[in-house]
Amino acid sequence: MLTATLTIACAGQAAPRLPGELAWTIGSDPKTFDPAKVDDQWSEQIRYLTGGVLLRFNRLSQSVEPQLAESWKLAVDGKTVTFKLRRGLEFSDGSGLTAKDVAWSIRRVLLPATGSPVAEEFLSPAGVTVETPDERTVVVHLPRRVIGIGKVFDEIAIEPAERASEGRVTAGPFVVAEYKRSQYVRLRRNPHYFGRDSGGVALPYATGLRLDVLANSEQVTRLFERGEYDVINYLPPDYFELLKQKDAGAVRDLGPSLNTEQLWFNQVPGAALPAWEKTWFQSQAFRVAVSRAIHRADLARIAYEGHATPAYSFMSPANGVWYDRNLQVPKEDLSAAKAGLAQAGFKLNGSVLEDAAGHAVKFSILTNATNAARQKMATLIQQDLKALGMDVTVVALDFPALIERLMHSQDYEACLLGLENVDPDPNAMMNIWLSSSPNHQWNPSQKTPATGWEAEIDRLMGVQASSLKQAERKQAMDRVEQIVADQQPFIYLLYPNALHAVSPRLEGVAPAVLEPGLFWNVERLRLREAR
Amino acid sequence: MKAGVELLKRLARTVAILLFVVGGSTILVRFAPGYLSDVREMDARYAGAARVELTAEAARSSSVWQMLKTELGGWTRGDLGTSREYDVPVVELIRPRLAVTGGLMARAIALAWTLALGWALLSSAGRRPRMLWQAPSALLLAVPTAAMATFCLVAGRGGPVVVMTLVLAARDFKFLDKVLRKAWQAEHVLQARAQGVSTARLLWAHILPGTGPQLLALATLSIVTALSAMVPAEVIFGVPGLGQLAWNAAMNRDLPVLVAVTMILAVAIALAGMAPERRGEWRAA
Amino acid sequence: MAGGVRLRVAAVWLLAGLCVVSAGILIAPGSSTSNQDRGQVFAGSSSAHPAGTDALGRDRMARVAGAFLLSMAGATLAAAATTAAAAGVGLLAAFSPAYVSGLVLLICDAFLALPWLFLLMMVRSLLPLTTSPANSAAVTFFVLAALGWPACARAVYRGALGLKNAEWMLQARAGGLRGGQIARYVLPNLTPLLLPQFLVSVPAFVIAEANLGALGLGIGEPLPSWGGMLLELENSATLLRTSWVYLPIALLVLVLLLLEGATQEV
Repeated sequence: MLTATLTIACAGQAAPRLPGELAWTIGSDPKTFDPAKVDDQWSEQIRYLTGGVLLRFNRLSQSVEPQLAESWKLAVDGKTVTFKLRRGLEFSDGSGLTAKDVAWSIRRVLLPATGSPVAEEFLSPAGVTVETPDERTVVVHLPRRVIGIGKVFDEIAIEPAERASEGRVTAGPFVVAEYKRSQYVRLRRNPHYFGRDSGGVALPYATGLRLDVLANSEQVTRLFERGEYDVINYLPPDYFELLKQKDAGAVRDLGPSLNTEQLWFNQVPGAALPAWEKTWFQSQAFRVAVSRAIHRADLARIAYEGHATPAYSFMSPANGVWYDRNLQVPKEDLSAAKAGLAQAGFKLNGSVLEDAAGHAVKFSILTNATNAARQKMATLIQQDLKALGMDVTVVALDFPALIERLMHSQDYEACLLGLENVDPDPNAMMNIWLSSSPNHQWNPSQKTPATGWEAEIDRLMGVQASSLKQAERKQAMDRVEQIVADQQPFIYLLYPNALHAVSPRLEGVAPAVLEPGLFWNVERLRLREAR
Repeated sequence: MKAGVELLKRLARTVAILLFVVGGSTILVRFAPGYLSDVREMDARYAGAARVELTAEAARSSSVWQMLKTELGGWTRGDLGTSREYDVPVVELIRPRLAVTGGLMARAIALAWTLALGWALLSSAGRRPRMLWQAPSALLLAVPTAAMATFCLVAGRGGPVVVMTLVLAARDFKFLDKVLRKAWQAEHVLQARAQGVSTARLLWAHILPGTGPQLLALATLSIVTALSAMVPAEVIFGVPGLGQLAWNAAMNRDLPVLVAVTMILAVAIALAGMAPERRGEWRAA
Repeated sequence: MAGGVRLRVAAVWLLAGLCVVSAGILIAPGSSTSNQDRGQVFAGSSSAHPAGTDALGRDRMARVAGAFLLSMAGATLAAAATTAAAAGVGLLAAFSPAYVSGLVLLICDAFLALPWLFLLMMVRSLLPLTTSPANSAAVTFFVLAALGWPACARAVYRGALGLKNAEWMLQARAGGLRGGQIARYVLPNLTPLLLPQFLVSVPAFVIAEANLGALGLGIGEPLPSWGGMLLELENSATLLRTSWVYLPIALLVLVLLLLEGATQEV
């Protein structure tokens, strides 16, 4: 009886799978199902899977494709967008989708009362107007030109006019059917979805999706091995190796992603740090020396088990259009680092590095506790910098405490974190590079640029935002990259590879490095036996 | 009459504990680092929305006294507040999870006690070597809950109940073993043994009744240990219970949920502490 | 009970021996707990690394020895402190007038329910970021000791209450026995409660220290943390790399058994 009770006690996962249903996990509950109010990662995933959008950004070809719109036209001045809708579009409840619904959805997103994060992407949402000359045409007038306006429409889900349904009535491939908090979200196939494959078969192939709320990597890996999940998005490198040993065909390493891991020093003039520490961190020679002393190859090999690429700039090689091959970067060179420090007035006193005033160089690196790879990187860097005579303490905090120090009190010395880049276009990085932005991590919210090179970066970002010529924009961004490489406000470490696990039973997978990675073409995914 | 006064005293005591705990939790959570920060602030797409929410929260929680008044005022109306993370009433979050956690804990405690008592009886009455009996509990105490969970997952067997049972049983065993060994050394027991009384009769008539008060005291300790073992077990196995809710609330600084869960915990501990105290004689002394 | 005494003596000697061996390993020339041999990550045993290396190529033998001494000292002292505190509070509650004991137990119960996680976060935020790993470890064990006593205090109170009403105690008190002397007579009778609490607290603190690493407390890198090495076992990918990952837990079980042997009553 005891054994029986013990075995019954096993925690099975949620509900059993329906035939033809795909399953994977999400890290936590989506904050909202209303596509206009999406403001976190998992809600965005639900919106991607359920929302019918006018245009879709093809993650593989990295170009905008018409979706609900049959065609679209952008005026030469970039201030008018005209969409022509397909014929016979329907919502999942069978009601017709016309220009009226499109206009209503767009206006709702722009309304300040909705509080949609997407509205900000229009730059001046208040001035945007939407017209519907006829049932199948929608004209959007923009007060200011927006770079990549096509991609913005990939984030606006079209809903029935006056009937916001929080994902229950959609024009996308799936519809929200069931939600059990902290357990799972179940999506059901939309029978009225417009998409068809080349043979005329209605998409999506899958009958539904089950997204289980599960954050524990160990559990996810085990359940994937047992066939409970078809996909693991963004696998940690050690579990990648584990799964690879069991079945090499089940794992995919897509090469470097757009994301970066970087180290930076606190350069806020008013920070609560001793004056001599501020001098160190604001000294270009100091930062460059630190960058030269770090062995990025070791970081990639040991912390990421080889599934990362050493990085020296914010443009990843995966970003084909914007990657600069001719960038001059300070490579690893311990003697050059020491020479640079000596020139800046630092000297070695035994094995301890001291600045010109005799203060021992000692600082802390802050990182977040839940990321094992970052902890390893911080410890590896600790030893690398010891070779220079610097005494580094590694402190791991949980995210809220970390963010408070980084963004509110600026009470930190150095920080090791990663940056996620979802959009390959550098215009999406404006908030990092503009010195007035609160996300200009090393010295946020500056009233006027604190240094000449930051002023230059501000100017160049303005150029890329306003220029109509791709070559001019590329030139500006190359210049920004060079300034960043010279000044090292961010000491880039690695581009982590995009690692995924795919069940051998899953067909139609065409993984892309850009998010959402494995299921960007979710309507074409299906399980082998469901034919 | 006396029973009535006793009951009132116990009720007053529970209310006092609750007030103390509510005030303490509010202050601890409000002033711990990170209350007014959100990881979404680092992401350009969501930073704006996150900042709006945080400003609203800062306005709501500018004064601790105000916060406490609002909390307590809400409870008198049966409203436990709204979750900061999920934006739904806290009652709605807690209700389905109470049953899950209650069931988990009841099963784990019952199994753990059975296992620990049985093992302790065998160990205390058994022959040497003593270390052999101690080794399993030493092993279970040395393994972190997370590692135990991983072993279960790798083996494909066992879940939160198994892990919690083993963790509790290991601790309970240590106490029970000591208590029972001491009881076996009592004079009247030794005499009875020498006279040839059977082990079973000794256990039933002398050992177990004599150790009654001690075992009851250990029950309280056991419940407290179970409450703390519940959180890692639920979090690792993804069980939708109170422990998982509490952990997520702690990581996201969700004050209303944390205060509500802490209250439930305090009630459980207060009830455990109110188990009848038999001020009977210490027979084995 | 000569066998029992021999066992006790043997256990104490073995524990002492372990400490000496660990110290020896650490002092040996060329041994380092933090030096990363980056070409030899997760290596098996070799002449340079008898117990292999860990995820960053550091010598496991030296790290286990260092962690043993550091965590052992910290966890044992903290466990002893917390058990002593529990004993003190329990006795105080049992031998005081009703209202004092009522208040003490109230505080005890309330203490158990409060979310101390946040106090720990506050402690971390008060410490300077460049606190050395050793200081951070000391603070961590101190805080653990300060928070661990309520769990056992009530059980001690119950036990002491039972003793209070025992005939011999009533007689002694009537005869004029006072506070401190009461403790001397009562404590030996409470050992069935105190010793297990101590023995349970030691591994609990070792593991708790590692879990506190997620809040910024705990033993900082590059000092070796026993709890940290135990937590390596939670990753099934690590378990497959080398069986030397089981060394810390084997050692901990051994130490717990030795402690059990050393503290048993005869």
